[in-house]
Amino acid sequence: MTGAVFTTKQRKHTRDPGFLAGAAITLTFIALAFASLFWTPYDVAALDIGAQFSAPSSSHWFGTNHLGRDVLSMIMVGAQTSIAVAFLAVGIGLVIGVPLGLCAAAFGGFVDEALMRMGDLIFAFPAIILAILITAIFGATATNAIVAIGVFNIPVFARLTRGAAMPLWTAGYVLAARTAGKNHFAISVEHIFPNLAHLLIVQATIQFSLAILAEAGLAYVGLGAQPPTPSWGRMLAESQTMVSFAPWLVLFPGLAIFAFVLGLNWLGDGLRHRLDPRRERGL
Amino acid sequence: MARRLPTLFACCMSAAGIFIAGLTLLVTPANAAGALNVGVQLEPPNLDPTSGAAAAIDEIVYANIFEGLTRITEDGAVAPALATDWTISADGRIYEFRLRRDIHFHDGAAFDADDVVFTFDRARSPTSTNAQRPIFEQIEMVTAVDPFTVRITLKAPLGAFPIYLGWGDAVIVGRTSAATNASHPVGTGPFKFQRWRKGASITLTHNDAYWGKRPPLDQINFIFIPDPTAAFAALMAGDVDGFPNYPAAENLALIERDQQFQIVFGTGEGEMLVAINNAKPPFDDIRVRRALNHAIDKQAMIDAGLFGYGTPLGSHFSPHHPAYIDLANRYAYDPPKARRLLAEAGFADGFSLTLTLPPPAYARRGGEIIAAQLEAVGVEVSIRNLEWAQWLEQVFSNKSYDLTIVSHTEPLDIDIYARDDYYFQYKNENFNRIISTLREASDAAQRNHLYGEAQHMLADDAVNVWIASSPKIAVWSSDVSGVWADAPLQANDFTRADITNRAPVLAANGAKPAFPVYAIWLIAAALGAAMIYFSQASFTFLLSRLAGMAATLAAASVVIFLLIEVAPGDPAAFMMGLNADPASIAALKAELGLDKPALARYFIWIGGLASGDFGVSYTYRVPVADLIAERFWVSLPLALLAFLISTVIGIPAGVMAAAQRGRARGRAIITAAQAGVAVPNFWLAILLVLIFAVGIRWFSAGGFPGWEAGLLPGLKALFLPAIALALPQAAILTQIMRTSMLDVMDNDYIRTARAKGLSQAQVLRRHALRNALIPVLTILGLQFGFLLAGSIIVENVFYLPGLGRLVFQSIVQRDLIVVKSIVIVLVFIVILTAFFIDLAYGVVDPRLRRRGAS
Repeated sequence: MTGAVFTTKQRKHTRDPGFLAGAAITLTFIALAFASLFWTPYDVAALDIGAQFSAPSSSHWFGTNHLGRDVLSMIMVGAQTSIAVAFLAVGIGLVIGVPLGLCAAAFGGFVDEALMRMGDLIFAFPAIILAILITAIFGATATNAIVAIGVFNIPVFARLTRGAAMPLWTAGYVLAARTAGKNHFAISVEHIFPNLAHLLIVQATIQFSLAILAEAGLAYVGLGAQPPTPSWGRMLAESQTMVSFAPWLVLFPGLAIFAFVLGLNWLGDGLRHRLDPRRERGL
Repeated sequence: MARRLPTLFACCMSAAGIFIAGLTLLVTPANAAGALNVGVQLEPPNLDPTSGAAAAIDEIVYANIFEGLTRITEDGAVAPALATDWTISADGRIYEFRLRRDIHFHDGAAFDADDVVFTFDRARSPTSTNAQRPIFEQIEMVTAVDPFTVRITLKAPLGAFPIYLGWGDAVIVGRTSAATNASHPVGTGPFKFQRWRKGASITLTHNDAYWGKRPPLDQINFIFIPDPTAAFAALMAGDVDGFPNYPAAENLALIERDQQFQIVFGTGEGEMLVAINNAKPPFDDIRVRRALNHAIDKQAMIDAGLFGYGTPLGSHFSPHHPAYIDLANRYAYDPPKARRLLAEAGFADGFSLTLTLPPPAYARRGGEIIAAQLEAVGVEVSIRNLEWAQWLEQVFSNKSYDLTIVSHTEPLDIDIYARDDYYFQYKNENFNRIISTLREASDAAQRNHLYGEAQHMLADDAVNVWIASSPKIAVWSSDVSGVWADAPLQANDFTRADITNRAPVLAANGAKPAFPVYAIWLIAAALGAAMIYFSQASFTFLLSRLAGMAATLAAASVVIFLLIEVAPGDPAAFMMGLNADPASIAALKAELGLDKPALARYFIWIGGLASGDFGVSYTYRVPVADLIAERFWVSLPLALLAFLISTVIGIPAGVMAAAQRGRARGRAIITAAQAGVAVPNFWLAILLVLIFAVGIRWFSAGGFPGWEAGLLPGLKALFLPAIALALPQAAILTQIMRTSMLDVMDNDYIRTARAKGLSQAQVLRRHALRNALIPVLTILGLQFGFLLAGSIIVENVFYLPGLGRLVFQSIVQRDLIVVKSIVIVLVFIVILTAFFIDLAYGVVDPRLRRRGAS
């Protein structure tokens, strides 16, 4: 007999530990990736066959792999790859998807129908299989991984934008702008877009975490960034055979993916609480 | 109110239940006799050794199914097989073979001289797809002197002819059965072909009517395990009795300590080398090639790339051969000298090159070492990883590469350096003269001398950087005996193999498994009809949805076709393998219909799809529809199982999280769900294998025994993959279910229900849950499509022969017709699921019925 079911008032969150933790984790990974541009504990390209399969120790915190390379250094540089691929893939979705969604909402009718059906077409493809097809056909490179993941982000943002923009077109200030003689383009840019930017930020965070997972999956099957560029997914694939005697090789890259995605999701939830209170759900 | 929802839900669940129960009827008890389960890395593209060069074919059929006139023994010598003896004319051109009598092919046809004439005429004909056609073209005439004597006249003397006749390419095929050998091989050997489960295994059973000594084994199951990790796991889990070529050298130290295994080192024919494009500047400069030789530390390559198992090489020759000369130190590892040579050649500041790598682990691992070593002498290396098909096209056929790493496994193949236009692009008239003298020489001492000269010349010219000869490493269960240690041929002769602790023989059904396919269609049709009825959808609504489905399918088919069209990699070249002759490739292309224009092929494909004919797989030479159906029976139960697990966990957890909002239990569920969403499913899969298969051995590490092995073994094999797939999905479902519940619980009618005196549990069950499930339906629909298609990565970890693996393998093998068809089938399923979900809305929510537009 508690009132939980009947709580209609949202509880106030003065502190949001999830948001803070998520922001901290995300910033840590970004900082690691940035730091690795200038410094890593060891050179990730250098071989040290004599030190192969060193267990985690004070000199190699996360151990070394079969080539004697330092796992911590590889994870740091791998963060660059993950972040770059995910960032650009989400960027493709935003840059192409948002204008398409705005158009669909602004013009409606045939344009709307055509754009949304194109989105349906992309959604009809099992994402991972199309991504594998694209990278297998056009070659396994980071660029193709970005395109393969980015393609799926386009309809996500297009739909979100359209759905949120539609009701805004009936808002008073939009009607006012129309009577003032502004065209669809100007209204979309000046009035509609700023009013859904917060939704896009929240969605972009979530898509970013999905892109990190997708990049890792593609790299795991050998279709992501190619060696010697370190990548978390490929580190897992390469060390799978050695898991029985060098478990750190599988443990740490997997934990890196897990922690980063978890952090991004927390950050996304926290952002939603702050930016989109209508959809907020208390803990 | 949505009273029908629980009923609908119950229907779905019981349909899944009926399906799984139906499978129990297919349980066939295994009988107890001797079977050997052999792990092999590569699945053969087909089973006709006379029409494809793939070594994987010989590894299955040579000496086991097919026999030649002669055979190669374990020590590399030539022994009589179907011919009891032979004579050679004084000029070395005419061979007369006396044939063994009373031999029958597996289909009952009697073997005689006409089969031999047929075999060799077929191999040398202009339409022949035999990979060694140039050898058979040396034959001027084959005649049957009498039913058991054959005379072969050569155009010129060929010292090694009896050896060639012992190769897999020269096995004798039956006149009546040759055409179907690709999918159903019929030979004269001690084992008969029984069954090929594509992507999983090939089964041979012993031949009662064999002319020779009866083999100790009753059955051999070749199980395809391409991945080194999976190989180790399968060995540990007892799924296989061993590997003739164990692919994961890194675990040998671990296996060695285990009493239940024996490691057998044999001499291999593999020469691992860094091939150099000798015609392409700057590699046409011998100083550059010598610099590369000095820059590479072979021992480091052996230690890290081959985990210490290898002998350094200095030329293209196997160390176990009497003619071998040790030239490994011809160019010592000396980076300063390499820099000096580069400076002499005008590259004091180094230069940049591309290192192109095929898929095997030795190449990929070795590539990183080579790159690091070359960079140490100022050469900038960019690595390009290719699939085999792309490698064959770009490196082997088009010679567009700088350096590549590959292992040449054919025995005594030093003569490839004399070939015109071979991918090394090495041209040396003196070398060619040595090889042509060798061809006609029959004196052993003279031949060995010539081989020595050839080795020296290649080393002096620094044609390639030879790294190491890798031993043939076999790992067998300690109760296996009679297997070959050495590998003079790429073959696994199991004639004398035995195993004391015998695995049960699988049920002998050569036919396709009789699955209740129609039952599934009936259930689907009944569900669909029921939903249409209950949803009371208007006719126009149905019609517009169906039209939309058709349009999406048509658009998808064009997209798929166009994508496949631009895919590089010639399927025919890939199928023929490394040593294939261009004319054979062209012949195969015509046979597959690949020479027709694109538009014609699109309409042939679409027309076929509409009539249920998906075409014939390039690789397996069986109907694509059969191939897909076979894999469907792994993927569908897997998806259903994962769906069931994810639903059973996700929905109650979501309801609980909503009901316990703000309390510890609710928060714990949310935290767990957030963690679940962030776990990559393949990582989870690896961890599950490590814990439950390698560690405590409750489950097998992967593979699929087939439903005919029994329901329980089948479900057991699917359990870990289903968990790995289901947990992240359950986490998503939990979050959505919770959000949906909270939305509903804010409504006034919930408060009213509570106010009128219902307990909280009653409110949840009767009012909140039903309404909250509506949006969750969409997610369930999406999840099912994802589970069916998206399991590709998890199927790879567990090497399950499902649709996901099939599509991945087909892309890699350039079996494009299979790729096209699977993708369109998956798209169809996704669209169909969306359609059903649309109807389901109408069933559960009367407010949504009779929607005209959208």
